[in-house]
Amino acid sequence: MAKILEGPAMKLFNKWGIPVPNYVVIMDPERLAQLGEANKWLRESKLVVKAHEAIGGRFKLGLVKIGLNLDEAIQASKEMLGAKVGTAEVRQVIVAEMLDHDAEFYVSIIGNRDGAELLISKYGGVDIEDNWDSVRRIQIPLDENPTIEQLTVLAKEAGFEGEIAERVGKICSRLVLCFDNEDAQSIEINPLVIRKSDMRFAALDAVMNVDWDARFRHADWDFKPVSEIGRPFTEAEQQIMDIDSRIKGSVKFVEVPGGEIALLTAGGGASVFYADAVVARGGTIANYAEYSGDPADWAVEALTETLCRLPNIKHIIVGGAIANFTDVKATFSGIINGFRESKSKGYLEGVKIWVRRGGPNEAQGLAAIRKLQEEGFDIHVYDRSMPMTDIVDMALKS
Amino acid sequence: MSILANKDTRAVIIGGVAGVNAAKRMAQFDYLINRPLTVQAFVYPPEAGQQKEIFRGGELKNVTVYSSLAPALNEHPDINTALIYLGASRATQAAMEALESPNIKLVSMITEGVPEKDAKRLKKLAQKLGKMLNGPSSIGVMSAGECRLGVIGGEYRNLKLCNLYRQGSFGVLTKSGGLSNEAMWLCAQNGDGITSAVAIGGDAYPGTDFVTYLEMFEKDPDTKAVVLIGEVGGSLEEEAAEWLAAEPRRIRLIAAIGGTCQEVLPQGMKFGHAGAKEGKKGAGSARSKMNALREAGALVPDTFGGLSKAIKQVYEELLASGAIKPESEIDEALLPELPPSVQEVMKQGEVVVEPLIRTTISDDRGEEPRYAGYAASELCSKGYGIEDVIGLLWGKKLPTREESEIIKRIIMISADHGPAVSGAYGAILAACAGIDMPQAVSAGMTMIGPRFGGAVTNAGKYFKMGAKEYPNDIPGFLAWMKKNVGPVPGIGHRVKSLRNPDQRVKYLISYVKNETSLHTPILNYALEVEKITTAKKDNLILNVDGTMGCILMDLGFPEHSLNGFFVLARTIGMIGHWIDQNNQNARLIRLYDYLINYAVKPERPVPDKK
Repeated sequence: MAKILEGPAMKLFNKWGIPVPNYVVIMDPERLAQLGEANKWLRESKLVVKAHEAIGGRFKLGLVKIGLNLDEAIQASKEMLGAKVGTAEVRQVIVAEMLDHDAEFYVSIIGNRDGAELLISKYGGVDIEDNWDSVRRIQIPLDENPTIEQLTVLAKEAGFEGEIAERVGKICSRLVLCFDNEDAQSIEINPLVIRKSDMRFAALDAVMNVDWDARFRHADWDFKPVSEIGRPFTEAEQQIMDIDSRIKGSVKFVEVPGGEIALLTAGGGASVFYADAVVARGGTIANYAEYSGDPADWAVEALTETLCRLPNIKHIIVGGAIANFTDVKATFSGIINGFRESKSKGYLEGVKIWVRRGGPNEAQGLAAIRKLQEEGFDIHVYDRSMPMTDIVDMALKS
Repeated sequence: MSILANKDTRAVIIGGVAGVNAAKRMAQFDYLINRPLTVQAFVYPPEAGQQKEIFRGGELKNVTVYSSLAPALNEHPDINTALIYLGASRATQAAMEALESPNIKLVSMITEGVPEKDAKRLKKLAQKLGKMLNGPSSIGVMSAGECRLGVIGGEYRNLKLCNLYRQGSFGVLTKSGGLSNEAMWLCAQNGDGITSAVAIGGDAYPGTDFVTYLEMFEKDPDTKAVVLIGEVGGSLEEEAAEWLAAEPRRIRLIAAIGGTCQEVLPQGMKFGHAGAKEGKKGAGSARSKMNALREAGALVPDTFGGLSKAIKQVYEELLASGAIKPESEIDEALLPELPPSVQEVMKQGEVVVEPLIRTTISDDRGEEPRYAGYAASELCSKGYGIEDVIGLLWGKKLPTREESEIIKRIIMISADHGPAVSGAYGAILAACAGIDMPQAVSAGMTMIGPRFGGAVTNAGKYFKMGAKEYPNDIPGFLAWMKKNVGPVPGIGHRVKSLRNPDQRVKYLISYVKNETSLHTPILNYALEVEKITTAKKDNLILNVDGTMGCILMDLGFPEHSLNGFFVLARTIGMIGHWIDQNNQNARLIRLYDYLINYAVKPERPVPDKK
């Protein structure tokens, strides 16, 4: 799942003939002034300026300004660019035309097991929530896209009439094409607006998710996905992601501020059960981390060091199931080096480390990490005979 | 009994090195339970035609790599299963081809990061053709005592620890690969082990869902209970609950669901598998899945930690009801150990291996090469030179400062002798024919022999013999040489003579005698011999080969090393000639007719063949 920002989404809409308002994405207010000289719409339309970043609740944060003329838009972008929200910084703003319109509609398409489902409603914008019953849907089986006529019928069922129904049908057909050809997972256009005087439609606001695994067949995807964790990534998270993109196997890291239990866990399934165990025992996690697929020892070492730098942690859980092919000895040598390095830099003061793991070369790996006791680490090492998540219980009881 | 994979399973692996590694692990299982090799063929175009070495215990098997699936299936008609070990961009096409092959009934994909649309298409195709598609992102399938598909089950020792050599009573279904292994371990610890374990993969749209596999387990009389490990996201667990509740089921269901932590995480934060994502309004949350399964009658512990107890409880109930008979423990000592590699056995000192070669001069097994024990970098840092390395590698001792100065001079004065001599001319000829440096220099090197440059060793050898056997009897030495060897090696020159001496020889002798304290009995003897031979004929002087040979013997180099000095020195010259010819872009050359005497028969007709 990869959410993309409005700019790249609008670009893909344009590509597939879904009407969008005029827009520009800028990093510098000066550039907006220059663009204003070149583009009539910037001088003559009412404009909306939005921070072009993955920041939730932008309106409340003052990062969306509406109804502006060009000078006001330049001023607004000056104020927004460089603004800091938590760990995020506004580096781009999107400036779009505010289309005077007569009505707002709702259109969305969401992938499911058998294909996708298209939803249409005559009520868009804030009204959709209260009028969910007005939504008409059509299941689109995989590789069997509906015709414009079918979609026009659906539009009529949803209460659209005459030429508008036909135009909505056509826009939906293009939306289906865009969804299908761009490996999208969901696209929600809310609102889709119409200015009846010239029958101009535009997708005024849209949220689009694409399948990031499909990027190998989309050479024109020049964007990066927005973080999947509800906020922009921190520097430490970015660093681990960079490593992850370079290695065989994977290393993953997400910070959860305020937690006391750091997780250094293996495997996409087991790591979640470790987080569950901490929460179930009333503990708080300081992060989520996962390594799997027999990653290089240096990658695990980097992950370990990153994790040791988390503030205020009391325990580190080095947990994992019995691995199929991740070499315990090799990955543990990365963890051991990471612990040593962190300790020499003054981290891990008063931190208890709890280890449980099995898998290829488990005996050597566990013996090696147990030796850290001799170097003054407060470390407790268990093999496969210790039930997987019991080290969490022990940590929280200690 | 089992599901998906059994004793009749024969597989083709589509993919490269990861596939070969999986085949090796699978062969370990084949050996453990004494079944024929499961993997019959590989398909991987870049390595088509190669044989991959797979050990089934101590037995070495060769498995062929084919360029495409069709010939592999033609050659191996027993293949009924395909395992996909390709990257995401190629895996879909390969899986489709496999599904469309009539003999293949099951396709299991380990590939991670398969686009969702591709996964949906594969699933649709499999359903249309009535085939099984397991995965993507699946670690594989394990049927205890019958068949292993993929690396599921981990290392050899773990296969035994998890009782996978014989069938138990528990089925295992997981999304996660690591947890499939953990669940097999739990079933062995708290029950009697597994029938089959299937990892369906953690993607949003797995090829086959839990319900399909539950149906299969329900129909397998040996499976009495199923351990299902699910997680937040999607609706496969809810569907499993519906299936369980729909009608009375023979099998018991134990389930653990991951992802309850998402209840307290900051909003929007997700992690874990690709499919582990809660829908709108709590749909697909771990809690709702746990509740649905509990309501349907499954035993669902609150946390993963409760799974051991749950399995034990169900096992004991099944034992008490008589559904399962207590199994007599197999003596694990009867199970074969994996034959160790030679290195492992040697480490334990349990085997003696006759070495194939022996070396006494160098060793690079440490951090850097060592010459006769000395680290190369340390020799450099302490000011030693190439002469000293020659001393170490050819004579196994570090020369003194005086000795290395002599060695250096010997190489300097014999590095080249112009383009006309056989060696240089050979190299030049090759260079002009466009031959690369190593071959051109070898062409020149080929000339070194009894008539050109190859006399150093024999000169040293015979003068040493003379000095020892005929110390005061040079005529006796010459007579012995005449009788047994012929002309004395190291004596005589084509152009130089007593009146026109070789300056190099003059210099070398004078340097050794006047500027070093080297004791030179063999050189002295040779000079005595020269006095007698030059008295007979003016050009029977001690030549440069002879001088070098005597001095090198006096330096204590082994007799058979001496030609090496000429070879080494002339290599410098020949490389120089090759570079020179190339710099000049020299043309191909041939001999002029006037340089050849054509002493051949006159032209004549060829007779008819008889």
